[in-house]
Amino acid sequence: MKTIHKLFTSLAIILILVSCKDQDVEPTEQKTLFLRHKGADMPVWVHGNAQSNKIVLYLHGGPGDCAMCYRYYFKELENDMMVAYWDQRVAGASSGKVDSATLRYAQFSEDAFYVVKLLKQQYPNAQIYLLAHSFGVELAWQFLTTNNNQQMISGLMAVNGMFSYYRWLYHVREWALREAKKQNNAEAERELMANPVTLENTATVNWELIYRWMHKLGGNPVSLYDDKKYLANYAFASPNTALAQFTHSKAYSYYGEVESRLFEKGALLKNIRIPVRLFWGVKDGVVPVEVGRETQQLLTNTSVSTVEFSQSWHEPFITETQEFNNAVRSFVK
Amino acid sequence: MKNIHLSLYLMLGLLILTQKNTQAQSLRISYYGETITHYGLKTAYEYPIFSKIKERNQSRKMLLIAPSAALYRHPRNHFGIIIAPELIYRRIGKRGTLLEAGIAPAYFRYFLEGSTYQVTANGELERIRYAGGNAFLPTVFVGTGRALSVRRGLSFDWYTRLNISQQRPYNTSALTRFSLEIGAIFPFKKQ
Repeated sequence: MKTIHKLFTSLAIILILVSCKDQDVEPTEQKTLFLRHKGADMPVWVHGNAQSNKIVLYLHGGPGDCAMCYRYYFKELENDMMVAYWDQRVAGASSGKVDSATLRYAQFSEDAFYVVKLLKQQYPNAQIYLLAHSFGVELAWQFLTTNNNQQMISGLMAVNGMFSYYRWLYHVREWALREAKKQNNAEAERELMANPVTLENTATVNWELIYRWMHKLGGNPVSLYDDKKYLANYAFASPNTALAQFTHSKAYSYYGEVESRLFEKGALLKNIRIPVRLFWGVKDGVVPVEVGRETQQLLTNTSVSTVEFSQSWHEPFITETQEFNNAVRSFVK
Repeated sequence: MKNIHLSLYLMLGLLILTQKNTQAQSLRISYYGETITHYGLKTAYEYPIFSKIKERNQSRKMLLIAPSAALYRHPRNHFGIIIAPELIYRRIGKRGTLLEAGIAPAYFRYFLEGSTYQVTANGELERIRYAGGNAFLPTVFVGTGRALSVRRGLSFDWYTRLNISQQRPYNTSALTRFSLEIGAIFPFKKQ
């Protein structure tokens, strides 16, 4: 009985001491937020150094990909800043009951606005930077060229993403043609030559044929499934619903067939005033580096820098993780 | 929504029915989870509506109904509650091998594990407590185990079960879920 009494007394003292500690900002933030909007419950996980007062909001690709599943590569950044991993509607671990008619650029941009607003509400002193990849770059241009949204953001890091469907598909075909010639693939060359991409035929050209050849010719040979450590981390340590990831793409048929084909922000890029850094895997066939170079020329009213990753394809943060994270750090500093 | 109500009415009906007679009924308690990191507990009250013992090999076939409830946690994502009226076909061989299969038109309630903010009509963000959702979760399952009461004279059986469910609605359509149960069945009276 005496031992139990002693045990309880010690426990009580420890609890009192723990509860008396300073209520300062925790140095390491680990928060899960959800944004509920137009049927979707979208998670935003915020991790990292809270005292930095800098948040990098990751805009994942896809559409329909996930944010937290790439934490494996970005985790190191959390020592120096907070990283907010947002799963967009009908993507990653987002849930709810969503009308597929909401899967439009304008809605994604509106969601992004409220995610930024939520982060600003939670961290009023923090500067917010966007780190956008692939489709996330389309979303970033949509968001930044709408209303005064760019005033909420301190800078954009755009990774292998497009500003114009026409210029994108044009360069994908050029990339594939170059590779077809290099690899002596006569069939690819013939089919690609028979499908030229012009401004007039962008909405009707057989983009799947061009895209398929680009992949067959080695446009992005990197597969996450080859990395066993990543897979184990995804299955057991990420908050994602593993099978959900494979259900999302079905919802995006309108995006693929209509919405994305009308995407054109080239003329609006001159309105961008916030600093931009372009990150590009130069071997990428999915969004070739020429798209990045055109992007830089169109950003005439802001400071633009480019970091090219010579050993990378579509996801330089996977293939050159250390170099990529260093480039993020130097931009956010 | 109609399916969710149907699940709950069925569940209520079974609860009333199983109050009548405790003869040959049993309690099932198990680990329930999608993986070891999405963990939970499940319990069910089993009630036989048909039972037959084959004289030749003494194997027993049963048709059971079982109101059940499961609770689990998917960390940093949600807490889930699954309430299901289960219909189970179970066969116990003469050596105690247990095989089962069944269906469960389940009701699924989940609570998001995180602070949830909703965009209001005037564009403000409003905190919602206990945010989550309701879904219909039709489930089929197969299981195996060992009736330890048959040869070893113990007063419980162990079993393991694989559930395949479909959550409706989920985003724009449905989501297939897999889950596992590993647990024990405790008969109320020795049969």
